[in-house]
Amino acid sequence: MEINWIGLASAAATFLGVWIGHVSVRKIEREVERLWMPSALAFFLGIGLELASFRTSSLVLSAICGILGVTFLWDALELYRQQNRIKEGHAPANPNNLRHAKILATYPTATMFDWLASNPRGFPYSSDELNAKKERSA
Amino acid sequence: MNWFGLSFGIVTLFIIGLGFIWVIRGERYFGYLWWPYVMGAGALCVIGSLFISNNWGSGLLGAFGASLLWGSTELKEQAIRAELGWYPFWDRKILPPFADIIKKWKAPNL
Repeated sequence: MEINWIGLASAAATFLGVWIGHVSVRKIEREVERLWMPSALAFFLGIGLELASFRTSSLVLSAICGILGVTFLWDALELYRQQNRIKEGHAPANPNNLRHAKILATYPTATMFDWLASNPRGFPYSSDELNAKKERSA
Repeated sequence: MNWFGLSFGIVTLFIIGLGFIWVIRGERYFGYLWWPYVMGAGALCVIGSLFISNNWGSGLLGAFGASLLWGSTELKEQAIRAELGWYPFWDRKILPPFADIIKKWKAPNL
């Protein structure tokens, strides 16, 4: 039986694309003040990878470039979605980043507290508990 | 012009998008302790994809397996989001076999 490597290549590209995007979007959005720059970079990287996927005759390479390209294009958008999470307080703001400092001053929901840095406890938090959790962090 | 990569990338984007939905729904009704089973199913899909001779079939099964593997690492964080009230919380979760043992393991989170 002939082994078909396209599945494994697609799996690796999908997993790595999502992983790299997940980690680097959060990191870059946190550090960079002018968000359009990394967003434009991700956009052109994505377009470049799609162009490469057109040009190669290898199906394995084409699939890898096609998948990674689409995930980079998505990351260009995700940087702005991450900024919205900062505004909502669903991701912690970085006070040393001027853009985040402005968000902290403008949006009452924004916080430096990382709500997700805990473990599930099995039942929901009451609003009193949530307020206490947030105050303890401030 | 080789359209395989782009069309594949777009379909993969939908598979990843589907991941958002099943992670949210799955965690709500079944709980995050299913993660080892989801991870195992993902690995089986990726291994299975090696033996499918049809290129689209193999690629799609591989990408789907990767999204199961990734989703298994997202379930724990989703459980916290639901407890925080960012998503509806359902308290009659259907727990997996050996939930007590799995509870003692550190759930992956990348």
